[in-house]
Amino acid sequence: MKSTLALIAVSALVAVAPRVGEAQSSRYEGKTVTIVVGFKTGGGYDSTARLLARHLPKHIPGKPNVIVQNMPGANSLIAANHVYNVAKPDGLTLGTFNRNLVLAQLTNVSGVKFDMTKFAWIGSAASETTILTIRSDLPYKSFDELKKAGKTVVIGATGPGANTYDFPLLLKEFLGVDLKIVSGYSSSSDIMLAIERKEVDGRAGSYSSLRTFIDRKLVHPVIRARAAEAGIEQLPVDEDLAPTPRAKAIMALRSAPEVIGRPYVMPPGTPGDIVKIMREAFAKAIKDPELIAEAKRAKMDLEYVSGDETLKVLNEVLSQPKDIVDEFSKYIKFGE
Amino acid sequence: MIDALVDGLLLILQWKAFAFMLLGIGIGFWVGLLPGLGGATTLALMLPFVYAMEPVEGFAFLLGMHSVVATTGDITSVLFGVPGEATAAATILDGHAMAKKGEAGRALGAALTSSLVGALVGALALALAVPVVRPLVLSFGSPELFMLAIVGIAFIASLSAQGGRGMLRGFLAGGLGLLVATVGQDPQAGIARFTFDSLYLWGGLELVPVLIGIFAIPEIIDLAVRGTSISGGAPPGRLNKGALEGVKDTFRHFGLTIRCSLIGTFIGIMPGLGGAVAQWIAYGHATQSARNAEERKQFGEGDVRGVLGPGAANNSKEGGALIPTVAFGVPGSSAMAILLGGFFLMGLVPGPDMLTIHLAVTFSMVWTIALANVITVVLCFLFLNHLARLTNVRGHLLIPVILVLVFIGGYTANNHYGDLLVTLLFGGIGYLMVMGGWPRAPFVLGLVLGKIAENYLYISVARYEAAWLSRPIVLVLFALAIAVILYPLIQARRSRSKGKAHA
Repeated sequence: MKSTLALIAVSALVAVAPRVGEAQSSRYEGKTVTIVVGFKTGGGYDSTARLLARHLPKHIPGKPNVIVQNMPGANSLIAANHVYNVAKPDGLTLGTFNRNLVLAQLTNVSGVKFDMTKFAWIGSAASETTILTIRSDLPYKSFDELKKAGKTVVIGATGPGANTYDFPLLLKEFLGVDLKIVSGYSSSSDIMLAIERKEVDGRAGSYSSLRTFIDRKLVHPVIRARAAEAGIEQLPVDEDLAPTPRAKAIMALRSAPEVIGRPYVMPPGTPGDIVKIMREAFAKAIKDPELIAEAKRAKMDLEYVSGDETLKVLNEVLSQPKDIVDEFSKYIKFGE
Repeated sequence: MIDALVDGLLLILQWKAFAFMLLGIGIGFWVGLLPGLGGATTLALMLPFVYAMEPVEGFAFLLGMHSVVATTGDITSVLFGVPGEATAAATILDGHAMAKKGEAGRALGAALTSSLVGALVGALALALAVPVVRPLVLSFGSPELFMLAIVGIAFIASLSAQGGRGMLRGFLAGGLGLLVATVGQDPQAGIARFTFDSLYLWGGLELVPVLIGIFAIPEIIDLAVRGTSISGGAPPGRLNKGALEGVKDTFRHFGLTIRCSLIGTFIGIMPGLGGAVAQWIAYGHATQSARNAEERKQFGEGDVRGVLGPGAANNSKEGGALIPTVAFGVPGSSAMAILLGGFFLMGLVPGPDMLTIHLAVTFSMVWTIALANVITVVLCFLFLNHLARLTNVRGHLLIPVILVLVFIGGYTANNHYGDLLVTLLFGGIGYLMVMGGWPRAPFVLGLVLGKIAENYLYISVARYEAAWLSRPIVLVLFALAIAVILYPLIQARRSRSKGKAHA
């Protein structure tokens, strides 16, 4: 009797299985998936989305079209609000925004109309590490030497909320380095030029954006944030040098979103089977050799971070005690 | 060096590279004509196509496209008073005024020929600058860039009507421009200024919807109210032979065209000043060429020199902007920032190597800019007089088409309905300014220079405290700013004393 039941169950499964496949492929066949990007054309978030748009279709059953729509403004808040509140949870909209949006939610920035943890998380396409670099012609070779310099070191920055500003600010506040942060440069490349003409002594930024200048020996890195990347593992980590647990918590909070450097979500309430299809396609696309070859030529470093991992990071950030959050928001403003 | 120059030409004349350049020109042509759709966006969209290309082919394609955008942008500005590109808005002031007088052909001829001269000067500058580019760019720090912005703001004196009342209005309009430039999150403390709790305003106002509103809307209202064609009651005969007259104008005022080209190149070389600045300073300089008060009044009413100046500058700045991109890997404009991505895709690392090992590739870029503009201008001349006839079409047939272009153009800035409101709001302001006799050029100059001036002043003071004031180039630029402000006064006095002598 048991075995008959089992047999029936198995045959039913066999009969149903291909139908599930068919349903999946017909769901996307002839459809168009839109990736909403919270920034303008041309930046890092945008070019990652466009790269994915070229390679995602291969890995989604039914091979839909994937297009990119730019929805810039308010450092991605507009795009995130749109995907959370307006876009339909039908599997045809993906969103990718500023990785620091979770900090905006944490510090109660007005205009946040979403709960980061309620998005249907697909994952992240990259993880970034912020490093501080200083001009190679300066006598300080390591962070320790920089700390003992006995002279103010000038760091160029774009503005509050950007890693060019926030990272050195915390180093200065908590690690006792004598830094002077000069902000207002219109882009990180303008800061590089200021370094060339010796107007400033260094700049913080993501390792990927600084690597060509490090290779050219214009600057060299002295300290990094938590996430390690090949080539800079041996650098000291800011959190490890923190004098108090409080300082460590604040630095960790600033670094946390960097693990989810290029976040991808679907609207909240997207059915589980659709999320599963998209998560699988996303994971396969990022490991696709053709995509890797293209990314390498464009000097982009992609790294797959799963949806569950991103959620873990978000929950960790959002569960910080109130006094830490209060102190954090004294230093860090959501921006850029 | 000469070898590299020849090699560069040979590289671009290979059939494949040449074909890609023609394709690029074809795309750039339309991008320039359509308002809103900018050169930078198009570069970003076209970037994936260069994966399969060789470096020279890729650059021929991207640069061919990019270097004609400003050229054809002038056409929309002249014909309809709608800025085809943010970098082609200054051409409207006199170019469209000429179109209204029935001289659209002449204005187009002048705009295109001066664009060509500008592009060639820019390309030549790129070639000549190769040995001196590093020290030149490095000698301009934040204090110097701040003073350059001040010199630019001083040009308000030239862009305003003469006399105390005119100057006052000019500087007030400029002040309004500076104020509008402060909208958005400030880069020092991260405080939101004039955003009225609207997320849309966080990032500040985009230039394109503001420019389209302030220039195009008043023209559309004017056209609707007049109820005629753009060229109104002007005799139709003048349209047909106009283009050649415009070519002659360029050579009649050749010195001015060259000077404005050099202004454009210089501003292009300075990273951080932005492409929209060059045309206005060139326009201001063009008005200085008026020999007396009578002539000065003609600017804005359709003086061909007001077309030649910005026409030359907005093309020459592209050659200039390539210089820091190539030599430092630091882009001189947003379009160049995207082009930099193209460098990587094609396996080139911009930086000092581009001036030594890859010199031939660098020169092939020079040739691309030059050739692309020659081809475009020659092609345009084939149907320029036909284009000019559009100004004879009755207004009520034309207005719906222009309105569509205006609103699509404004909307491309952020793909947000706020863009349309900004276009309308500044359209209203523009209309009131025209009605009340307030000059719009100083407003725009204040707007494009406001953020630059603010940021570089802050950086200068934060970095050098008061010591930046005594830097030699700062002092020279300070003197230049004063000279620019005083020039119209001296000019007025001179023409007055001349008038007395005649009497």
